[in-house]
Amino acid sequence: MIAHFDIDAFYASVAIRDDPALRGKPVAVAGSHRRSVVLTASYEARPFGVRSALPLYRALEACPNLIVVPPTMSKYKDISREVFAIFASRAHAIEGLSLDEAFIDFGPCSLGEATSLAQTIRDEVLDATGLTISAGVATGKMIAKIASDACKPNGLLAVAPGDEAAFLAPMPVGRIWGVGPKSQARLELAGITTIGHVAALDDAQAYRHFGSWANQVRALARGIDNRPVESDRETKSISSEETFEYDVREERRLAEVLRAQAAEVAEKLEREGLSACSVGVKIKRADFRTHGRQTHLAEPTRDARRILKAALYCLRRADLQGAPVRLIGLRVASLVPGEPLQTSFL
Amino acid sequence: MKFTCNTKEIAAAVGAASKVVNAHTTVPILSNVLLQAEDGKIAVRATDLELTLEHAFAADITEPGSVTVPAKLFSSYLGNLQGGRLELNGTPTRASVKCERSNYDFHALPPDEYPPLPQATKGSHFTIGGKRLREGIEATIFAASSEEARGAVLMGTLLELEGNSLTMVATDGYRLAKFQTTLDDGITGTEKYIVPSRALAEAARNLGSGEVISVSALGAQSNQLQFHSGDTAITVRLVDGQYPNYQQVIPPKFDRSLTVNTAAFIGSLRRAELVAGDRASMVKLAVSNQTLIITASSDISGNAYEELEVEQTGEDLTIAFNARYLVEVLNHIKSAQTVIEFLGPLSPAAIRPVEQPEGGQQLYVLMPLRQ
Repeated sequence: MIAHFDIDAFYASVAIRDDPALRGKPVAVAGSHRRSVVLTASYEARPFGVRSALPLYRALEACPNLIVVPPTMSKYKDISREVFAIFASRAHAIEGLSLDEAFIDFGPCSLGEATSLAQTIRDEVLDATGLTISAGVATGKMIAKIASDACKPNGLLAVAPGDEAAFLAPMPVGRIWGVGPKSQARLELAGITTIGHVAALDDAQAYRHFGSWANQVRALARGIDNRPVESDRETKSISSEETFEYDVREERRLAEVLRAQAAEVAEKLEREGLSACSVGVKIKRADFRTHGRQTHLAEPTRDARRILKAALYCLRRADLQGAPVRLIGLRVASLVPGEPLQTSFL
Repeated sequence: MKFTCNTKEIAAAVGAASKVVNAHTTVPILSNVLLQAEDGKIAVRATDLELTLEHAFAADITEPGSVTVPAKLFSSYLGNLQGGRLELNGTPTRASVKCERSNYDFHALPPDEYPPLPQATKGSHFTIGGKRLREGIEATIFAASSEEARGAVLMGTLLELEGNSLTMVATDGYRLAKFQTTLDDGITGTEKYIVPSRALAEAARNLGSGEVISVSALGAQSNQLQFHSGDTAITVRLVDGQYPNYQQVIPPKFDRSLTVNTAAFIGSLRRAELVAGDRASMVKLAVSNQTLIITASSDISGNAYEELEVEQTGEDLTIAFNARYLVEVLNHIKSAQTVIEFLGPLSPAAIRPVEQPEGGQQLYVLMPLRQ
């Protein structure tokens, strides 16, 4: 059985934990200047439309009582290490997705055993960090993730073997992995609005809507998901991406997102015991044109500042000239084992 | 415009200029070289807006004027001529070339669209022997950063002037190269210029080493530097920024040293590097009992062991370097013997020739690897 774990409103929850006066209030974690974007919003802020990547000034317009707290990356990393150590003590395999999110393979066991293990982990995380973590338990990764999303915050949802298709059927079609907003809009026009609709397609219809990917996507929609939790796979690249709720034009805001992504990628490099020789930035414009820029480093690094500097260089070279951007991602590749050996005086 | 000239001379001038042209430029006129016929000479010019190279040669001019021709195309054409005389007839849209029994028409772009040379006021000015300047350039620029993401400052080479002294410094943070020399005609006071290293490479390639090279700062803010010798001028936009304080990097004192035969050392390092694997090309140097032991190993290739007799002073030491960086430094040392000074396994090491070259004083600093 497989579980997906995700800390609830991670950055915001840390702020509330450390300042109980914030409890029950709308809180957003964001940089301090007016052009910052929201990194995480507490559940109290979400009904106002405050979501991650929303420009802070718009968040403040939507929710004038919003309490803005600056991020403390080092604290998040420490908590992440603690949480992953708890995962490691209970798991056959862990596939980390970000600082606060992972798939865990419990190995061969019953739904009941897996659910109780997941609850144990939730309790241990709460004890150790004071944070709530939601979990989805299922036979496959996609269903586990959808389940944990569906039971947030502080939830545990297990989907019994055999119930997958029924669980997925009412979900919007955009929840299937690989179906982005553009495909979703196209499918909805064709009357395919739920995952159940995809599961019911015959071969010809599936092929017409999904091409060579038809069998895979229909299997996923029917709850068949055999992809393993890959903890020991050789990492070829590490990346972090963010799709914005609203298109972003200001390069300074993109730079701020890259800063957070560089910290996250550097943390993953350290956790995996790797260093990177190349850094790239992926930009998807509002018109869905995608640009990639990458640059090679003379010496491998896992230093967030070096990664950010290279990413900002890539961003400048993409020469966006204020074009609206819907997604930005940072990727490091050409990975070598270990920490960098070459010392430097700069 | 119309002129006739020696084929070899125009081929050399256009060939040199075409190296400056940026193959990826999106401005069509910058793909071209400008040929200006005036006062018995043809001046060939190319620019990428940062670096401009101009070289003139003698010709029989029947009608003065200018033409611009696609650099790569024209230079390849000229390079394939057998020799003899060439006649060129230029208009704003066409360059017609006759040589022996071949006739070519090249599409041209209007010469008045070509970026003009900076007509800037001259600032500080100095002269230096061509051989010394070339020695300094060759000894330093290889250590500059090639990583564009780290910025133009580290990709440049620092020229620090004080009276009659010129110090050239290049570094990427992992190694540092320094060359100190004297000027023929110095400046009053001090100046610091960060020059794009590729401009210095062009200067070393194109300026006659037998001649005296005159160097002038241009522009009200001294934001350009022009190297001039004979019929060749190279003008480059200087890098705006603060160069790292390199003097802090060079330890004032060392407590250990070894003196080694340069060629033998390079040979051992090159062999050891072969098995060092791709992880930082690590070679370990162990100095003890007047002997240097070089080792390297990797799971894939095996183990290397090399022994060299050295002159050792101070305590024993084991230190690791990237063999590639070390060999690159040693390749720029012409002295038969090289001295390396140390402070400890994680401190910068200084490398210098025992016999300094005629033109100046060479010094390298290399950062070690963590073992």
